[in-house]
Amino acid sequence: MEAFYFGPSESYLFGAFHPRQGVNRNEAVVLCYPFGQEYMRAHKSVRRLAINLSSLGYPVLRFDYRGTGDSAGNMDQVSADHWIEDIGHAIQEVMDMAAVSQVALVGLRLGSLLAAQAAARNSAVSRLVLWDPVTDGGGYVADIRNAIAAAEGEGSRSRIITSDGALHFNGFSMPVPFQDTLSALRLEDIAPALNVSVAQIVSHENDEFASLRDRLASRRDFHYELAPAPHNWNYVDHVGGILWPKPVIDAIEQYFAEAHLQHKESSCVNR
Amino acid sequence: MREQVVMVGDELPLVGVLSEPEADNNSAPRVAVVLLNSGVIHRVGSCRLSVTLARSLCEKAGLTTFRFDFSGIGDSDARRGTLTAAQAAVDEVQEVMDYLSDWKQFDRYILYGLCSGAFASYRTALNDSRVMATVQLDGYCYMTWKSYALYYGPRLLSFSRWGHFVLRKLGLRKQKKGVEVSGIEERYFEVPGFAGYPPRDEVRDGLQKLNDRGLQMLYVFFGNEYYVYQNQFEDCFKPVAFGDNLTVIHRPYATHILSEPEDRASVVESITHWAQELVRQPNR
Repeated sequence: MEAFYFGPSESYLFGAFHPRQGVNRNEAVVLCYPFGQEYMRAHKSVRRLAINLSSLGYPVLRFDYRGTGDSAGNMDQVSADHWIEDIGHAIQEVMDMAAVSQVALVGLRLGSLLAAQAAARNSAVSRLVLWDPVTDGGGYVADIRNAIAAAEGEGSRSRIITSDGALHFNGFSMPVPFQDTLSALRLEDIAPALNVSVAQIVSHENDEFASLRDRLASRRDFHYELAPAPHNWNYVDHVGGILWPKPVIDAIEQYFAEAHLQHKESSCVNR
Repeated sequence: MREQVVMVGDELPLVGVLSEPEADNNSAPRVAVVLLNSGVIHRVGSCRLSVTLARSLCEKAGLTTFRFDFSGIGDSDARRGTLTAAQAAVDEVQEVMDYLSDWKQFDRYILYGLCSGAFASYRTALNDSRVMATVQLDGYCYMTWKSYALYYGPRLLSFSRWGHFVLRKLGLRKQKKGVEVSGIEERYFEVPGFAGYPPRDEVRDGLQKLNDRGLQMLYVFFGNEYYVYQNQFEDCFKPVAFGDNLTVIHRPYATHILSEPEDRASVVESITHWAQELVRQPNR
């Protein structure tokens, strides 16, 4: 693995690049983290997924959005559009590093929604994998707001809304510009603009996932898979426990492995 | 401030980020602050505390900082060996200090850690005289008679707690433990495997040695059942006479992972101010 900073100097991004092992494929993967405490709890899983995909021959870049992790700045004035821009920087970076012309995006939770928007805007994106996706940005913000309202009633000091309107949830803040721009994003609105293969891989079933699956089912290159695993990304304990939903990681790896085989088979047929 | 990603070691390197102040803002060119992992949380720290603190120390106190992942945590690959995690942590902090000393000519270090990171900073200080100061958040401390009285006294007078106690003894109420608390199966959930606390006398002797050496110690304790009043640390380790070597901050309403924005900001400011004053002293 190679770790480095990239992107614009005023909003530099931390990146961890996992070079391809063995097979030389013309498709890289960018992994898109979720928000806040979910990012903390997902770091190990996303790193493991990066290692596994690189061993299949895919060069992989995972990175921290601006205002998060080791990347520049804090969340003040950051919007969801900035994070979508950051995904664009990551796509360009991995294309340069791995000398590939296509990039698959894998997003976890909020990362899925942002990756979908990035995929709709970027012609280099070849595939989109939605892992337990947040399907509606406004709904996501409302859920956080409701959780804060419930906790504030019990005297919480970590789930609060400050006078500037920022949401503080389990140790991470979401400023108003982020809430506003995120609230405008809905997967069902973005879906028609996606000209790429889409995979929806989920750890559990719920109405949102089912509705999205039904909407995407008519697409030619749609793949859906349920890989039962724990999914409580916002469970917070006093020691910073990490969620490790291995069945989903395995399912995503398998999806890329099968795509790899299909590609090889079609290459054989073509020859 | 300038930040760069650094890999320490050739094989299975330790991954970290160096934050350096501007040349005209460098208050102690031969001193670096090294920030250690807490449990299994990667180097950005609980609620991004390590990043916030590293940048505050760099920009406001003019100190170079280095935050990194121990092997097997965050972005650093696991290394094989027979050392326990606690022993390996001391070795790896020393490896980092060797690297930074060779590269940037630092000769004194301030070690920072929360919980297991605090324990590692204490043990490293005992083993390495380059450590001039430690900042320990919820570091080693033990109950005293006074803390027992303050903690258990109100509980002994509480009818509801007696009620729960009786129900538990009768098997009618179960106390959740381990996996039951999170509701997540153990194989899908990773928590740090803490080694037990060393005996109090051992820590007291260690602190006596460090105090005699003139190590500067900043301890910050949060709200929990083990630390309940401001002077508990000094009472716990009597007769060590810490004098000016010790500063203790008690934030009784803050949680161990510091998820409260107000407490997090206050702790970062306090540590930054303390470090600023420390390196300003003429003999430092």
